[in-house]
Amino acid sequence: MSPAPSSEEVVETASPFEDEKAPPSVRADLVTSAVLLVLGLTVVALSLRMPTFLEQSGTGLTAPGIVPGFYGVVLAVLAVLLALRTLRRTAVVGEKVAGNDNGRLAMAAGLALLYAGFLVGRLPFWMATALFVFAFIAAFEWPRGPAGRPRRLIEAAAIALCTAAAITLLFEELFLVRLP
Amino acid sequence: MNDAFSMLGGGFANILQGGTILHALWAMLVGIIIGALPGLTATMGVALLTTLTFSMGHETAIFVLICVYIGAIYGGSRSAILLNIPGTPASAASTLDGYPLARQGLAGRAMGISTTGSWLGTLFGALCLALFAPAFGEFALRFGSYEMFWVALFGIVIAGSLSGGDPLKGYIAGFLGLLIATVGQEPNHAYPRFAFGNADLAGGLGLLPVLVGVFGVAEVLQSMRGPAMKAVVSKVDSVLPRPADIAKYWRTILRSGGIGTFIGAMPGLGEDIAAWTSYAAARRGSAEAEKFGKGSVEGLMAAETGESACVPGAIIPVLTLAVPGSAPAAVLMAAMMIHGINPGPMLAITAPELIYNIVAMLIVADMVKLLYGLVLVRPLLYVLLIPRERLMPIVLVLCTVGAFAITQRLFDVWVMLGAGLVGFVLRELRFPMAPLVLGVVLGELLDKNLLRGLVLSGGDVSPFFTRPISAGLCALTVIAALWSIPAVTERLRGLIGRTRPRTQPG
Repeated sequence: MSPAPSSEEVVETASPFEDEKAPPSVRADLVTSAVLLVLGLTVVALSLRMPTFLEQSGTGLTAPGIVPGFYGVVLAVLAVLLALRTLRRTAVVGEKVAGNDNGRLAMAAGLALLYAGFLVGRLPFWMATALFVFAFIAAFEWPRGPAGRPRRLIEAAAIALCTAAAITLLFEELFLVRLP
Repeated sequence: MNDAFSMLGGGFANILQGGTILHALWAMLVGIIIGALPGLTATMGVALLTTLTFSMGHETAIFVLICVYIGAIYGGSRSAILLNIPGTPASAASTLDGYPLARQGLAGRAMGISTTGSWLGTLFGALCLALFAPAFGEFALRFGSYEMFWVALFGIVIAGSLSGGDPLKGYIAGFLGLLIATVGQEPNHAYPRFAFGNADLAGGLGLLPVLVGVFGVAEVLQSMRGPAMKAVVSKVDSVLPRPADIAKYWRTILRSGGIGTFIGAMPGLGEDIAAWTSYAAARRGSAEAEKFGKGSVEGLMAAETGESACVPGAIIPVLTLAVPGSAPAAVLMAAMMIHGINPGPMLAITAPELIYNIVAMLIVADMVKLLYGLVLVRPLLYVLLIPRERLMPIVLVLCTVGAFAITQRLFDVWVMLGAGLVGFVLRELRFPMAPLVLGVVLGELLDKNLLRGLVLSGGDVSPFFTRPISAGLCALTVIAALWSIPAVTERLRGLIGRTRPRTQPG
């Protein structure tokens, strides 16, 4: 028996890798198989439409479509196998991993898209970075409530400015890497 | 033999010059911190740091990346011991005995064991690299297109079979990776495949942007979505390693070192499998098997030695075949290519000293790791307390810089974002990422050698099966694929079970 955790020890034991063991639901696997099957067949179709360069090679053995066509066929076959196996599997209800929060996921993905997909390249790099880091920290720390919020926002702004300055200087001046 | 010693000596002399060793100090520290922070893995660390090495000489650059790699694998066990959260997937086996030891008030002792095991593991692996890589490299010179095709395919199959629990999904991930690698101009006629008239797509999807996406962006998303981790600082006893542990468990150390190096040398398997396999083997061979999982010194030692021996092991096929032994080694290989080194069988002829230089780098990096293992305890505890809300945006900024810096195309940043989102979804659907990475890396090798083989034989596929080495590799690939089918393994177990008393499952 393990001793009871003392106040200074960790109570939380959830691991970011733990949930990788639970299988996804039957429906998710079936949809995946369908998507993969369509992908595989599309790749085969596109490969067949590629030129064969028969005049240059004489044999047609260097045709660009051979290799991707082969991958497409394998993917399609594996997708069918996955579907068959999923259908035979006794229905398992996809377990919801405790503590996973899709709202937070959407917020993180949205901010990442806004920053890397839109702001970078349109604003000066340091400004885009400072804005993104500030928005990210502020957004995720907002739900902690009004107590101490001004302080957290000031800290977020400081971290944002320091990150932008440090990364710009470190990469451009010290390591001679060009930034967007 | 004398040649080997003089080249190894030359390697040490190169590295121990003033400036280079300073690089090792910062790179190892960065590696350990990356490894210790849950959600940041060794693969991501090596990928992000590659950006910083562009202006360095190629040997310094490789040294920096090796330090990050070794440091990250070692750093992962700090959070495994103190938080029961593996800092990198490689350290998952270390939580089993490391955390119970910490709960018993022996966190320092556990970290000492981890330092000893990890130090000896890397040392063992580096010696194996020095012993076997040159000989294997010479053997690999006999590999032609037919053999290289099988090597690439074997890599995908073995990584798919063993890296994620579900072989079918592993194969699918591997072939998706291969497919990603076909985008862009192909080698024979420069025909832009899957470009749809877009000039950026015709240039191909960069390896590093894809890797940074799959391992960086996807991990940021996963980390922000998951439950918060309450970090904690418990009191720490002495972290000094004990020679008595080495004397008592030398068999386990040697066994785990051997297993770790071997698994590292298998294409695409990586540190997590090395650690689990060493752990299971140690439990089967142990006189105190009942202590495993409850704070066994031997168990922790086995896991740590195995994962750290895997690092040099994973570099063996990079240098001899241009096939990476693990996901971080794949990035390391990509970085070598960016720096103008072409790993593979020809390395034994074009730059034989490089193998020994890398051995010297591994040994020096291992010593720096030992140094940090002894002095860097308190500061690391504070690093573990950085909240993810403040860390992850910075990681994402670094990912963006890393993806952009290689070719300075904004297109690569979009590739990174796309790969990150797709990688996240695939992970959610339990597709392992290691075969995907291996597929992207091996795509060109497979593509080139399949077509070249067909051209050489005039369209005849029989040389793929009849040349002796080809036939051997083909048989290995088929066995690896069959092994992953449960019906086959069950029947085989049944056959073995009749002749041998059943051992405890590990």
